[in-house]
Amino acid sequence: MDDLTFLKEMERESAEQISACYQCYRCTTGCPALPEMDIVPHRVIRYIMLGERDKVLASRTIWSCLQCYTCSVRCPNDIHIGHVFDTARKIAVRENKALSDVWTFDTLFLDSVRKHGRLYEMEAIMRYKLKKKDLFSDTRMGLDMMRKGRMALLPHNIKDKKGLQRALGRLAQKARET
Amino acid sequence: MVTLTYYPGCSLKTGSKFYEASIQKVFSTYGIGLRELPDWSCCGASAAHTIDEDVAHVLVARNLAIAEKQELNFFAPCSACYSRSKITNDTIRSDISLQDRLNDAIAPLECTGSLEIKNIIEVLDDHVGVSVIAKKKRFDLSALRVVPYYGCVLTRLMRVKPFDDRENPRSMDGLLEALGATVLDWPFKMECCGAAKTLTDKEMTVRLSERIMARAIGAGADAIVTPCPLCQMNLDLLPSLGSTIPVIPTLFLSEVFELALYGRMIGLSSHFVPAETVVTKIKEA
Repeated sequence: MDDLTFLKEMERESAEQISACYQCYRCTTGCPALPEMDIVPHRVIRYIMLGERDKVLASRTIWSCLQCYTCSVRCPNDIHIGHVFDTARKIAVRENKALSDVWTFDTLFLDSVRKHGRLYEMEAIMRYKLKKKDLFSDTRMGLDMMRKGRMALLPHNIKDKKGLQRALGRLAQKARET
Repeated sequence: MVTLTYYPGCSLKTGSKFYEASIQKVFSTYGIGLRELPDWSCCGASAAHTIDEDVAHVLVARNLAIAEKQELNFFAPCSACYSRSKITNDTIRSDISLQDRLNDAIAPLECTGSLEIKNIIEVLDDHVGVSVIAKKKRFDLSALRVVPYYGCVLTRLMRVKPFDDRENPRSMDGLLEALGATVLDWPFKMECCGAAKTLTDKEMTVRLSERIMARAIGAGADAIVTPCPLCQMNLDLLPSLGSTIPVIPTLFLSEVFELALYGRMIGLSSHFVPAETVVTKIKEA
């Protein structure tokens, strides 16, 4: 008998009925991110059903996913596969299994929004670059954007930053309690 | 005459300011009033929901709550803003426990999902309509061959009802036809441009955007037309990202309206890929 613990965990956390998958491969045939993936999408789903927890959480696939939802809208069993991968990311991060550049950047993005109320792109990008110790790989893009006036040099702060931070604080408090 | 709450989102105030200018000009010609949402905050875009679903919902809920006080429908031109706002708005209508959870967080603000969230295609369809669009155009766009590029997030919505077909949307095609442009059929209406990978995996964005660009050129297009700021940015940035394939301009949908109404575009110099070739295709009607 296979170990269903991981399947149950994933179904609970994602609220998706992953066990409905009958391996039709439609998710994989439509996926634009296959060249960047180590395990193709329908196999990730299969591995979840087989209880291959480590394989799934350490896979490059869950981070290469673009969250374009082509797979999700095509799934004949109405499994939101993009969201299943998104859920696997959260578990992987929680357990320090796969810290990825995507997670690093998304975290800096959200930090910037918490701080200013809106994204201060320049700050998020520079913090990301410093963290990666790679300041110059996108110089041309950055300079072109500034030349065309398509990169804001200064942040825009909303007036009610306190209100926004209070709302996010209450949410975090509630999450800690439950 | 209709007035809408206008939610610009971060892009239309930074990387795509000319999209905002373009929309304002075109909408005022058609008598659509826009009232910018007071003290709006970021929708969380592609980042927040990956980190925490509820954080993403709370970011949207704050904006919805402010908008619901104005009792005007909510217009979000950026596809990410539109999608994130619509997901939360339409979900809390029936998911009362989520609604309560969000309202507990944002109190004293409160939202119930009472508004309609509209994208630019819907606004132009619902509040102007193709017959008025066809009648009011002043320039001949028939020599301009375009491919409609919708991008991922506008219609690929799960658990909420999309405004157009999830996989083969037609609404923007109809608007472009009404403007008199030559609309080409192509299979990449919904292909992913690489989205937010531009920084974390540049090669991936280049690979995906190059595929779209090459397909558009292969179809014989003079320009790609999109409503999405991130799609526009990725395609327009290709040479700046080190790509050496041939490129054509990527226009915002509202810029094609500008061409049909005024024969020029406010944001011409904001394009990375020179867009003058597009303007020279336009003739006095």
